Amino acid sequence: MMGPGTTWYIAVAAVLFGIGTTGVILRRSPLIVLLSLEIMLNASNLALVGFSRQFASVDGQIFAICVMAVAAAEVVVGLGLIVAFTRRKMPLDVDTLTELRG
Amino acid sequence: MGNVLVWVIWVAAALSCIGSGIAVISFTNPFYSALALIGNLASLAVLFLLASAEFVAAAQILVYAGAVMVMFLFVIAYLGGRADAPWAGGPRWLQIGAFVVGAAIMIEVIVALATKAGGGLSNGTEITRSFGSPAEIGRLFLTDHLLAFEITSIVLLIAAVGGVVLGMKTQAEGEAS
Amino acid sequence: MIVGAWLCLLAPLAGALLITLSGTHISRSAAAWVSTGSVFLGFAGAVVAFVQVAGESAADRSHLSTAYTWLGVGPFQVAMQILVDPVSLTMMLIITGVGGLIVWYSVGYMKGEDEERRYFAYMALFVFSMLMLVMGGNLLLLLVGWGLVGLASYLLIGFYHDRPEAIAAAKKAFLMNAIGDAAMALAFFLLIAKTGTLDFTASFNAASSGALSSSTVNLVALGLLVGAIAKSAQLPLHTWLPDAMEGPTPVSALIHAATMVTAGVYLIVRTHEIFQAAPNVQHLSAVIGGVTIIVAGVIALVQWDIKRVIAYSTMSQIGYMFLAAGVGAYGYAMFHLLTHAFFKALLFLAAGVIIHHLAGEQDMRKMGGLRKAMPYTHAVFLIGALALAGIPPLAGFWSKDGVISSALASGGALGYTLFALGLVGALLTGAYTFRLYYLVFRGEPSELVLEHADGHGHDGRGRAEGPLSMLIPVGVLAVLSAVAGLLVVPGLWEPFLHWIDGVAEPLVVATVLQDYVTSADAVLLTAAGLWIARGAFLAGREIVGDGRFRQALEHKLYFDELYDAVFSRPARIVAHLLRENVEEPVIQGSLGEIGAGVREVAARTARLQTGLLRSYALVITASVAVLVVVFMAVR
Repeated sequence: MMGPGTTWYIAVAAVLFGIGTTGVILRRSPLIVLLSLEIMLNASNLALVGFSRQFASVDGQIFAICVMAVAAAEVVVGLGLIVAFTRRKMPLDVDTLTELRG
Repeated sequence: MGNVLVWVIWVAAALSCIGSGIAVISFTNPFYSALALIGNLASLAVLFLLASAEFVAAAQILVYAGAVMVMFLFVIAYLGGRADAPWAGGPRWLQIGAFVVGAAIMIEVIVALATKAGGGLSNGTEITRSFGSPAEIGRLFLTDHLLAFEITSIVLLIAAVGGVVLGMKTQAEGEAS
Repeated sequence: MIVGAWLCLLAPLAGALLITLSGTHISRSAAAWVSTGSVFLGFAGAVVAFVQVAGESAADRSHLSTAYTWLGVGPFQVAMQILVDPVSLTMMLIITGVGGLIVWYSVGYMKGEDEERRYFAYMALFVFSMLMLVMGGNLLLLLVGWGLVGLASYLLIGFYHDRPEAIAAAKKAFLMNAIGDAAMALAFFLLIAKTGTLDFTASFNAASSGALSSSTVNLVALGLLVGAIAKSAQLPLHTWLPDAMEGPTPVSALIHAATMVTAGVYLIVRTHEIFQAAPNVQHLSAVIGGVTIIVAGVIALVQWDIKRVIAYSTMSQIGYMFLAAGVGAYGYAMFHLLTHAFFKALLFLAAGVIIHHLAGEQDMRKMGGLRKAMPYTHAVFLIGALALAGIPPLAGFWSKDGVISSALASGGALGYTLFALGLVGALLTGAYTFRLYYLVFRGEPSELVLEHADGHGHDGRGRAEGPLSMLIPVGVLAVLSAVAGLLVVPGLWEPFLHWIDGVAEPLVVATVLQDYVTSADAVLLTAAGLWIARGAFLAGREIVGDGRFRQALEHKLYFDELYDAVFSRPARIVAHLLRENVEEPVIQGSLGEIGAGVREVAARTARLQTGLLRSYALVITASVAVLVVVFMAVR
């Protein structure tokens, strides 16, 4: 069945990626940052799937599944960190994490 | 007729993706943001289906939206939905910069698509029925991409261990409580 | 013979190194004897070389012995070589012989001094440097020895480094010598530019054969002359010598009487071919010598310090040597150098015995009547004084009169003027020498003399006047002063002149008649001087009466004030100006500015490290965006 060409898929992926980037930089709550990060990862998944369809190679989808697994692992660790913050009564605000200040 | 239907569904799914994406980054309440993200994932699954990536779509719903996001919601519920206005705090240049950079990346990729890659991406190669079926994916995982498969499982193991470690009560807390 | 010569050169160096490297591990007297022994060992080597060379015929007497090639820059090669010929052998014998006696004397004189070992190391170093100067086989090694001698002189004049006068005197000596060194270096640069070599034979051939232009030869000779003047304390670079008496007395005897100050004369004799090719410069050296004879003699008449009188006398006698070299009588120049070494060292050492006996007093006004208290010293001092004044048959008579008669023989307006100057100098010599003698030894014993009259039994063995190690060398020198003159009896036998003539042919030879006329005149004038001194002493007054002339003489004819105003003050003013206007604002200021600037930049750069995670993320993504554009543009 015909549908939009690969170009459209990539375009949507690009838009989603941009939205995700804006979210990571703009928001202060680490939870929202993690969610924005998820959007970015999904955008790259979409691009992978689109290209796999273009070149009729399933490798792209394999890659997308691996990305999904890694994203899950990353969410585990990220949420663990956020819970640790709360345990230590630290405010959930990335702007307070200024140990790197030179 | 079939083509028009495909197009309509496709556009609807795409708009829903983008809309939910914007919703994720603009809600104050993290709970709503997480729900928006679930919507985003579902729309993406539709797009995957339209791209003949059935297994990926299924995995997206089951694993991503089903397990990962539920875990997210658990944590958000545990932490309480703290109010946090999107544009609150931080230097002005940072806020503007965020939009600028996001827009820049978007535009750059679209421009690249339009100018350089447009010609080569229009006609998709013919695909077979089993393209994207679980059988195909499974076969490739266990033959060509066995290493990736194994390493991914190790990464998941490490993440699980990390999660446990991060969740442990520290000694100080243990004595305090 | 070559072995003897190298031994002569290296023994004192070995001595100096041994004392230096042993530091405080050897005792003081061990250091003293090592130094003395090394110099006498050098003397032995020189004697061995002399005996062999004397046996050779006149034409064969020049030997060049090369150790290795020291410097090689393209065609310009300088070898470490020594030249053994009659002139250098004479100097070697004087330096190690008289030097050995003086170092032996110092064993007693410097006993109990604070830093004896340093003194003896310096003395050995000096002997080595002077030997290097006279034995150097090419002009560069001569310059090396020249510079080292200046260094040793600086170190020894400033030996009593607690005394500011001594330090100032050492600096003054070194600076004035440096002027001479610079002039010589410039002369050598010119030689290298024109002839490409600093070997003796090559340079002399170039000068005498006319290969060099006359202006070149004149400049080279002038540079050498300035160096000689500075080292030998002739006018106008003479002001350092009287101040150099701040050093210990044996130092004055060795360096400022017998050897270092005669290096200028040696230089002129050695490079006489260059001077002969530039006759104006040669005559200039004679004139400078003549003028110095008079000026130094006159200033000596008003000095009260016993060592300063002898120092001015040295200046005057070297003027005679310059006069002789200037008219071309090289044999007599070297002969006077030889006899002068003996009697001048004798006078200094005897003065040292007196100073040692009187516990450091050097002012003649406090002395008097020492004849009864120190008879041995009186006897040797009288021999020295008579030799200096030129009374026959003592040494000074033969040599000084030979110089003056050569001036007469060279004829012309210059020759006759120099003859007159030489004779007036004889008069002055008699006057100041016997003024010194009468003030110190004759008359009633002064209070100071009576205080010390009971004598010091130094080590139980020495006589009351001083330790044996001081008295024996003085005696040896007295004997030499008495008989050394007999090496040249004009008309009868002249072995010394023949010895030197092989290397440096004299330009003038006086006839026997001229010799005897000169001698008669000189002796008469000397006797007149003696009589004037005696008359003044017995009348209880000074030879030069009070008044403007005496005042000028006491200020040494205002040379020091002149140099201070012309050189020293402007230099200080310029230095002050530079410090205030260049050093502090520009150099130090700019350093401060650079430091502040760097700090400023660092502070600004540090502000990039905000610690704000989101800004880091922004920067990363912005970079990615930019890179994408770059990739797209490039591809």
